[in-house]
Amino acid sequence: MDKFIVESMNFYYGDFHALKNINMKLAGNRITAFIGPSGCGKSTFLKTLNRMNDLVEGSRVEGTILLDGDDIYREMDLIDLRTKVGMVFQKPNPFPMSIYDNIAYGPRVHGIKKKAELDALVETSLRQAAIWEEVKDDLKKSALSLSGGQQQRLCIARALATKPEVLLMDEPTSALDPISTLKIEDLILELKQEYTILIVTHNMQQAARVSDYTAFFLLGDVVEYGDTETLFSTPANKKTEDYITGRFG
Amino acid sequence: MSNFKIKNRVKDGALRGLIYLCTGLTVGSLLLILGYIFVKGVPGLSVDFFIRDFNDKTAYVTLQETDDLGVQVEARDDGFYITSMEKGSPFASAVNQNGDRQKLTKGDQIVSIGDTKLTAENCGDLNALLPDTGQVQAKVVRVGGGIFPLLVTTLMIIGLSLLIALPIGISAAVYLNEYAKPGKILRSIRFCIEILAGIPSIIYGLFGMLLFVRFMGMGFSVLAGACTVAIILLPTIIRTTEETLKTVPESYREGSLGLGATKIQTIVKIVIPASAPGILTAVILCIGRIIGESAALLFTSGTQARIPGNLLESGASLTVQAYLAAKEKGDLSMACSIGVVVILVVILLNFLSRKVGKLMTKF
Amino acid sequence: MGQQHRNEKIAKIFFLITGLIAVASVLLITFFVFFQGLQPFFPFNKEGRYSFWKFISGLQWKPNDEVAKASYGILYMIVGSLFSTLGAVILAVPIGILTAVYIAELAPRFVVKILQPAVELLSGIPSVLFGVFGLGFIVPIIMKTSPYARGQSLLAVILVLAVMILPIIVSLSVTALQAVPHAYREGSYALGASKIHTIFHLVIPAARSGLLAGIVLGTGRGIGETMAVMMVAGNSGGGIPTSLWQQIRPLTVNIAMEMGYSSGLHQEMLFATAVILFLFIFGINLILTKITAKLGDVDVKF
Repeated sequence: MDKFIVESMNFYYGDFHALKNINMKLAGNRITAFIGPSGCGKSTFLKTLNRMNDLVEGSRVEGTILLDGDDIYREMDLIDLRTKVGMVFQKPNPFPMSIYDNIAYGPRVHGIKKKAELDALVETSLRQAAIWEEVKDDLKKSALSLSGGQQQRLCIARALATKPEVLLMDEPTSALDPISTLKIEDLILELKQEYTILIVTHNMQQAARVSDYTAFFLLGDVVEYGDTETLFSTPANKKTEDYITGRFG
Repeated sequence: MSNFKIKNRVKDGALRGLIYLCTGLTVGSLLLILGYIFVKGVPGLSVDFFIRDFNDKTAYVTLQETDDLGVQVEARDDGFYITSMEKGSPFASAVNQNGDRQKLTKGDQIVSIGDTKLTAENCGDLNALLPDTGQVQAKVVRVGGGIFPLLVTTLMIIGLSLLIALPIGISAAVYLNEYAKPGKILRSIRFCIEILAGIPSIIYGLFGMLLFVRFMGMGFSVLAGACTVAIILLPTIIRTTEETLKTVPESYREGSLGLGATKIQTIVKIVIPASAPGILTAVILCIGRIIGESAALLFTSGTQARIPGNLLESGASLTVQAYLAAKEKGDLSMACSIGVVVILVVILLNFLSRKVGKLMTKF
Repeated sequence: MGQQHRNEKIAKIFFLITGLIAVASVLLITFFVFFQGLQPFFPFNKEGRYSFWKFISGLQWKPNDEVAKASYGILYMIVGSLFSTLGAVILAVPIGILTAVYIAELAPRFVVKILQPAVELLSGIPSVLFGVFGLGFIVPIIMKTSPYARGQSLLAVILVLAVMILPIIVSLSVTALQAVPHAYREGSYALGASKIHTIFHLVIPAARSGLLAGIVLGTGRGIGETMAVMMVAGNSGGGIPTSLWQQIRPLTVNIAMEMGYSSGLHQEMLFATAVILFLFIFGINLILTKITAKLGDVDVKF
């Protein structure tokens, strides 16, 4: 079942043609990794999927992106889209408020006010993000007092609290130490059961470890896209091979 | 669309409206003040406004023996104004009571000639008022209403206070940034700078009156005013200079020290010149602050609208006089005319500091 | 080498001394004001003694050369200062912060380029001119609606002060809002929050220490303002204001009005007024340092 269908999508920052004629089907309840050297467009692509690029002045999208058959740029309400598609950023960005308020922020945006309901949501989200045991006694503590790895899992929990169907992750472990990274990777594999996960990473081992499918981006083009195992063992394209064997990038 | 979403949209819209309203109020209040001051003040502006004395000056002058005064006067509400004057007129070579020459010009008033006061009837032919022989005394008035002495006083205070405060402020900033190590001294200096910046002008005025005017015997004088203002300026100068000292790259200092220069040579020849734009910004900010200052000057540099003959004489600054005009004399037009001048200077200073700021970011 | 070493030392001492001038100024100002201002409350004062309690709780200010006939009560001035500043802050804070929100979050770049110099200009206008504006524009309007014969009133002071502290609050708030990391906003948008929701539920709370600093600074400016207030307050001789239409006499005005011609105990009582004013300013400064230190470390870390 395809979650996203991207058809002849082009993306521009002003005059800069950042993504060139992308056609892609992204499978539901799977992990798809986007790899490629810096500036190849992988992050930009990820952000077109929840329209975060709308914030950038002078940006422009052509083509269509369908989420469960709905055109996200023309048919879907922005708030509905972002409710369905959650996002985790490169640098952990917990809000400067308590752990509880961080998680409850999203649900409150969507009108949930009852304390019991919020309490339940906070607990499930934190459990899902495998951080409940560490913070359950300090929910009133500032989220900024957590360690980097904990902050990132908190951010994942925060994204889960709005009950999304898709989770976009933009290099979620690049700011973390190896142990925290492993924890997050385990978590991602765990979450696959219920969510469609799209992850940008420049760590190829990570892509190989966690993802089912991989797309290799270069200079705004999708050079190769397919089954992760195949792509890493027998790449069809010479450039992909050069990249994954570390000859450039 | 769900009810909740509609409610949210309405809420967002209302808040957005509130934001626009408040911005409008802020801009509106600025426009209202500028509008009021300009509408009331601009009509009073003229070349005379800038070059004339503030007060009317009455004098008795002695005129050479003549049978033709060579002047025409016009009767207005407040006196008889000279409207034209021939070259050889004795008024052009009049001598006042001190024996100094006092040349009269167009726009001066004549009150009386000899013992005769000018009236609407006799002002048509002034020559008829002359005695048959001998010199004649005339009472004349040099009309004031100008701000020349205020400009001079303000400039004197600006120059003098900067002369005092700049060296102190800059070297204090050098101490804080180049020498001081974290500790009690540094903390207490910083704390005191904060306190200085927060003390209201009126307290500075009190202090200046007590210390400079009375205790040090300066009297109400430009010097006492400048000394008081100099303390007010210190926090601005120290903070602004320190900010720029921080932006001077460490490599400049290392380069200089590496070439064998001493620390003090490095500071004087490299660090301070490199932070010149910041110091210039400080000067601009200070000028703005001095021009706007009034409470601290009221009791230190005095309220006399005249050109101070030396630094120990008193003189009123532009804003002090604007206050006196509005409050004591009820002359709002004069206050607004001074206001227009001051606001134009402030706009110019803001513009300059922006330009200098751009200079700084290039570096 | 020895010569050079000595020069370096002298230079360092010179710079240190200039740095200490700021400290010396504060000490001198405090000493002079307190020394002069506290004298009347001690027995055997040369100019005559005045009870501190009568001073701090008195509702009438009536200087007289004969100490027995004079009354120097400043409670009504303290109340006047507090009411007027509080009123101005209540008016200016929401307007100022929301203006800052517009400048920092919503306005297109070319509008910001107009608005920021405008705010800067408003803060650069000398206080005397605010007074002139108050006297010539606000006071006559109030006179028309006021039950009293004069327009000089608590309301006039509040309005003039509000306009004066507005630019301080706007510019400090803009700085505070702009310092909120962009990542917070992105995080909020990604959760489906609208721009306005993000501003009110995330950005403003995150900037609260900076916003609070602006408010406190504005309060300090309001309490300390003299010239503009002197022109519109009416400068009453006594009585706690019970309505917006009544005249007041803030602490600063008391000093400025009478300093020029006072002497003896009367002058010392003016300094005593300055002591009270000084304590207020000192308290405000203390709050300010507390805010920036305490809330600062929560916000800066991210």
